[in-house]
Amino acid sequence: MEGSLLEPILYSVKAIAILDSDGNRILAKYYDKNVFPTPKEQRTFEKNLFNKTHRANAEIIMLDGLTCVYKSNVDLFFYVMGSSNENELILMSVLNCLYDSVSQILRKNVEKRAVLESLDIVMLAMDEICDGGIIIDADSSSVVSRVALRNDDIPIGEQTVAQVFQSAKEQLKWSLLK
Amino acid sequence: MSGFKRDKKEEEDGGGNPFQNIEKTIVLQEARIFNETSVNPRKCTPILTKLLYMLNQGEQLSAKEATDVFFAMTKLFQSKDVILRRLVYLGIKELSSIADDVIIVTSSLTKDMTGKEDLYRAAAIRALCSITDATMLQAIERYMKQAIVDRNPAVSSAALVSSLHMTKIAPEVVKRWVNEAQEAVNSDNIMVQFHALGLLYHIRKSDRLAVTKLVARLTRTMSSKSPYAVCMLIRIAAKLIEEEGADSNSPYFDYIEACFRHKSEMVVYEAAYAVVNLNRTTNRELAQAISVLQLFCGSPKPTLRFAAVRTLNQVAISHPAAVTACNLDLENLITDSNRSIATLAITTLLKTGAESSVDR
Repeated sequence: MEGSLLEPILYSVKAIAILDSDGNRILAKYYDKNVFPTPKEQRTFEKNLFNKTHRANAEIIMLDGLTCVYKSNVDLFFYVMGSSNENELILMSVLNCLYDSVSQILRKNVEKRAVLESLDIVMLAMDEICDGGIIIDADSSSVVSRVALRNDDIPIGEQTVAQVFQSAKEQLKWSLLK
Repeated sequence: MSGFKRDKKEEEDGGGNPFQNIEKTIVLQEARIFNETSVNPRKCTPILTKLLYMLNQGEQLSAKEATDVFFAMTKLFQSKDVILRRLVYLGIKELSSIADDVIIVTSSLTKDMTGKEDLYRAAAIRALCSITDATMLQAIERYMKQAIVDRNPAVSSAALVSSLHMTKIAPEVVKRWVNEAQEAVNSDNIMVQFHALGLLYHIRKSDRLAVTKLVARLTRTMSSKSPYAVCMLIRIAAKLIEEEGADSNSPYFDYIEACFRHKSEMVVYEAAYAVVNLNRTTNRELAQAISVLQLFCGSPKPTLRFAAVRTLNQVAISHPAAVTACNLDLENLITDSNRSIATLAITTLLKTGAESSVDR
């Protein structure tokens, strides 16, 4: 591993991924065309990364020449990858932003099911955090304010029976908790 | 009870996963709903989400399939639903490299980027630049310049980042926006400052005098609020030291050393990394950087310990003697729960360690 001065460029993130508890991709973005150019190579890398990280809660690992920082919760694994010479703390700040944004979007309910239910918003948030490898924003509250959370007040006529049930159940739950 | 259990199991198996078993042909078929005269966001949003999810999973579309769905998607511009519109931008970016005639959405996106709705503007700029080529860039040049100096930080950042992407295909055009970038670098927003500095440096990097001036001005005036911008400035300063062969009395050195006292760990580490990787670092400066890294070795944060030991490992190759001061800290890291840290600590000790430490 040869040390060298870092080139002053803005492109610092090579990839971002969210995997489930089987190591399958929920969302992933690769920003550098030279790093795992085909979907197949990406899958192999993700499987490998997952196998190395899903038991050890160690936060950082070097794999295939990339520095990967990660974080997990219930059945989700969040990863941010950068070159092996990149400032690890910058990558960590991106990971924290990703995690906190998702957590705010899902109202602290960070699990696979909730991510899939709000997948559109989570995709928008990922897009607000990093563009083509450049960190756009690393402050989760500003990211969340930019993705325009859906408002829940769907007119009653357009709700499905399930939605009506759900909101009634929640109201009942809250009234019992009081 | 058993019924409940079964339900639960079914749920776990994907009953609750709307994206299980999606098929390309079906999704593309469903996407035809976009062509209907009145757009229903509640129906179209889930379908577009499904389409984006499918692309994200690595599904490949032929040029014809991509073009068809791209054109269907352009119909969604009729809707004013914010989320749907933003998803359309994502779709445009995803398909811009596969579909034909993507420039068809130029006017819609230009309208959104100059419109009133702030939630559209920034994202529209980024989508627009993904479909723009060198000749078309001149047509939207005026709007890009305006956007760079926009008061809304999201808009300004989006324009700066997109400009930087555009330097790959139209460097001559982007060069003309240097005044706007210059203005943006004085912004109060930490990200705008960072992006503007990145663009300015990229435009000017072959002009040594301009870079020197830029660094001289920014090292004096730039607020230290933006750790990202400061990291970038450290990298530029280090590069200048290397190129000019400056000695340790240079103002660039002073700036980097001052960053050891920055309140952001990210910046402190960046400064230490720069110093140890300079060719001309003197022993005094090296000692200072190493004591910073030594401090990080005891951090409760694994990432910080990793960063420190990785850098010490690099120093140990060129200056093993300087690292011996950290041997005790490194020995503590051998049993670190993070295996990467432990491995790096061991290999570093092998370069610096004396016999006494090998015994332990």
